[in-house]
Amino acid sequence: MPIDRRLILSINWPLLGLAVVLFLLGTLNLYSASGYRLEDGMNMAPYFLRQLVWGAMGFGGMLLVMVFDYRHLKTIAWPLFWITLALLVAVFFAGKTIYGARRWLDLGFMNFQPSELAKIAVLLVGARILAREREPLGFVRLGYVLGVGLLLAGPVIRQPDLGTGLSLILILGGMILYRGVTPPVFKTALIAIPSLLPLAWLFLHDYQKRRIMTFLDPTTDPLGAGYHIIQSQIAIGSGGFWGKGFLQGTQSQLRFLPERHTDFAVAVFCEEWGFAGTMVLLTLFCLFLSQMVNVAKDARDLFGSYLTAGVFFYFFWQILINTGMVLGLMPVVGIPLPFISYGGSSTLVNFCLVGLVLNVSMRRFLFKQN
Amino acid sequence: MSNIYDNTSQQPPRAGLLLLQALIFLVFCVFAVRLWFLQIHRGEFYARKAQENQLRQESIFSPRGLIRDRNGDLLAVNEPAYALGLVREDCPDVDGTLRQVAEWTGGSFDGLKELFVKNQKRVKGFEPMILVPDLSFDQVALIDTNRLRWPGLAIQVRPRRQYRHGKLLGHVLGYVAEANEDEMERRPELALGDYVGKQGIELVLEDRMRGVKGRTQFEVDVTGRRLQERVLKHPRAGHEISLSIDLGLQELAMDWLDEEAGGVVVMDADTGQLWALATSPSYDPNAFSSGLSAAQWAELRDDPQHPMQNRVIQSVYPPGSVFKHVVAGAGLHYNMIDPKEVVHCPGFTQLGSHVFRCWRKGGHGNVNLERALVESCDVYFYRQGKKLTVDRMSEFAFASGFGTLTGIDLPHEKAGNIPTREWKRKRFGEGWQGGDNLNMAIGQGYTLTTPLQVARFFAAALNGGKLLKPLLLKDEKPVLQGQIPLNQDQLDLLYRALVRTVEDDRGTCRRLRTAGVIVGGKTGTAQVVRLTDALKALKDDDIPYRFRDHAWMAATAEKDGRRFAIVAMIEHGLHGSSGAGPVVKALIDYIFYGKVTPKPEAQKAKSRAARLLSYNATGGGRAN
Repeated sequence: MPIDRRLILSINWPLLGLAVVLFLLGTLNLYSASGYRLEDGMNMAPYFLRQLVWGAMGFGGMLLVMVFDYRHLKTIAWPLFWITLALLVAVFFAGKTIYGARRWLDLGFMNFQPSELAKIAVLLVGARILAREREPLGFVRLGYVLGVGLLLAGPVIRQPDLGTGLSLILILGGMILYRGVTPPVFKTALIAIPSLLPLAWLFLHDYQKRRIMTFLDPTTDPLGAGYHIIQSQIAIGSGGFWGKGFLQGTQSQLRFLPERHTDFAVAVFCEEWGFAGTMVLLTLFCLFLSQMVNVAKDARDLFGSYLTAGVFFYFFWQILINTGMVLGLMPVVGIPLPFISYGGSSTLVNFCLVGLVLNVSMRRFLFKQN
Repeated sequence: MSNIYDNTSQQPPRAGLLLLQALIFLVFCVFAVRLWFLQIHRGEFYARKAQENQLRQESIFSPRGLIRDRNGDLLAVNEPAYALGLVREDCPDVDGTLRQVAEWTGGSFDGLKELFVKNQKRVKGFEPMILVPDLSFDQVALIDTNRLRWPGLAIQVRPRRQYRHGKLLGHVLGYVAEANEDEMERRPELALGDYVGKQGIELVLEDRMRGVKGRTQFEVDVTGRRLQERVLKHPRAGHEISLSIDLGLQELAMDWLDEEAGGVVVMDADTGQLWALATSPSYDPNAFSSGLSAAQWAELRDDPQHPMQNRVIQSVYPPGSVFKHVVAGAGLHYNMIDPKEVVHCPGFTQLGSHVFRCWRKGGHGNVNLERALVESCDVYFYRQGKKLTVDRMSEFAFASGFGTLTGIDLPHEKAGNIPTREWKRKRFGEGWQGGDNLNMAIGQGYTLTTPLQVARFFAAALNGGKLLKPLLLKDEKPVLQGQIPLNQDQLDLLYRALVRTVEDDRGTCRRLRTAGVIVGGKTGTAQVVRLTDALKALKDDDIPYRFRDHAWMAATAEKDGRRFAIVAMIEHGLHGSSGAGPVVKALIDYIFYGKVTPKPEAQKAKSRAARLLSYNATGGGRAN
């Protein structure tokens, strides 16, 4: 497919720029988070270098995703759904067990996690179903959408991988909210969801219950489960207004802060750049999200708009949960912060999804093509 | 494929778009407020918390001042000791850790727990509490390899006192041990586990030798590993001390004492400095600095030989004939003895119905003052004592430094006793008897002296009557405490008698003769009990140890302007000359010729056997 000059001109440059800036800030922060002080000098773990390599690959993936017209995804949505479902079932029977969880398929040359594919499947199928008509969702349509989502989320939760399973439902739920529901559905959900929450408690593992209890009162176990929360808040709080300076964060450099290059990476940023720096970062994230809202608004068709909304929620939930956890507003859950936390495949997926949104945005004027 | 480009009038949901924007706004506000709360509102609180995580302070121990002898030989040094400490804040499981420590060190968990609870308040936050003051190398290795599994445990290196020569100077040096509650109460600069002087010079010169602790601040990482360190205050080492003691002389004195109960003093007659201050048996002060067990302490305390007693300053003995020089001095001072006066000694004298015997059964014949001193004639001094009476003898004795403390810089000195009429009335409720005068004149009865007092008196005989404070430090200037009330002629007379006692063929101190050295001496034999006739009939070796007389030898020695008073006192040594004389002779040889004469092995074996017999038979005796 020849690349139209107009396509390049209508790329949403702010979105692209924000993604790159956030990624670079994250990598810079990783440089600090992966070092720690020794008796003489510093030791450097090579995380930031690897992150740069993954980022470059992600950037390439993003460009690839931008090349084809996103509307072709409509056709592959359902096949992808069924393939994913088949793979999840395959995992259930023939998956590889690592650390007590059966999540991987051994492909010979690499281990593959079908639950990653499920995120894309839920995005595409969700957008495909929701884009079909404009009316708010009634009970029947809602049941249908949720049923499709649960078909994917169910096996994932059974693996067990509660985090990914819930994020599938959250993404889909976000898209449903974006789509809108009829008032009766809204009212029912308003009553049903809170009353079902205690029921969910029964399905949690002991360690998950403990995390929630520790979140409610971290001081009960300052050296055990509450340690993450306490040390994270000390790191952030001690940053003060201007921060301690790049590479000067004592909580991270002396390794009091756990998981500082993955889940708690942003706490390192807060410590070293202070309130001022963190507000800049928060603003960048908000601009990044609101650019997606712009794309969703201007999308040529509803499929593109819902697709964008799905990606929006994909990022939104991660930012909300991770930052909330780091700031001590939510229980400790192993969810990374996009672009800031270290992670190869998540960096790749992040860029590809940004590519998807850029794809939608650059083709907003091309409706006359057919 | 046909419907993928179907975009007929599809507008995105307006409410949905609003929702997304509202969500962004909400997240921004919630997080911004939370950030403001953590970083601005509570920023200082968390900054302090971070600093508590990161920075720790610790004391730097100051090395205690070294102690040397007068020739610079080291007597007390500091060696590194490994103590096991516990940082409470780093320790997630105190009980489990204490249990593990008990297992490692062979201690009891209850004991450690009690220590932990008791001392909890005394230890500052993030500072190690000393659980075991002294670890062996094996224990250090064992604990160090397991340290990462037991967070909170810290091995601390502290200087520990080591006494190079053990028992040799136990009573002079004293010892250090961990400060107790009282001492910490009194001196706020002391922390739990600090060593302080408890005895001897270590106690007396505590302030000079301790030094001042420093303080260091260091950065730790999460594993407790130390990173950069910054000294906030440098420690100041304690002052070095040079004793007046001569190590070789002390060694020789202790060799001759050879675990027998007794003491030796060597005093420089011109300065008062002590070149040797030996007491036997002694104890090893090293045992105290590494922490004495209850059993070890009980053994020391209950030893029938009383090794914790410094016999030179804390034991008081009747001076025996050594006191005759004091009586002679009193007679000269009060003009009541004419040196030319001749007294006939038939071997006894009578007072009323009571017979007082001279030590020589056949008597000394006609003796004047000098002869009486040289041959130690009892009858002559019975006569003088009767004339002088207790009043003059006591007054002169007090003036000669008896019955009062010498003021030596060692704790728990005893003053001894010089009796007076009043004293006896108070003590026994009865008046002074005529016979008491006679007993006092030969140094028996109620008169009690320490060997150090005797040495000071004989030093005065050499230096023109000056009573000098006995000094233990090499750089101390002489301290004049008094003057014996005799003129130079009278002093010369007494001194001549001392020298004659050595040089005369009938003198009692002939064994002290040393070529090239002017030696003077006086023996003393102090009765422990009034010997019954049955005991008197026995040969020396057959008298039970605890009934044997104490042996005194007080000597002066001078050569080329160096003058020394030397006193040896052997409990139950039988006779002054044979019991205490050989030590003094060996010391004189060493002082002036550097000649080392060890005690013959045969003699050592003999006295050991006598002691052993005595303990088995009687459980040991003790002189007052």
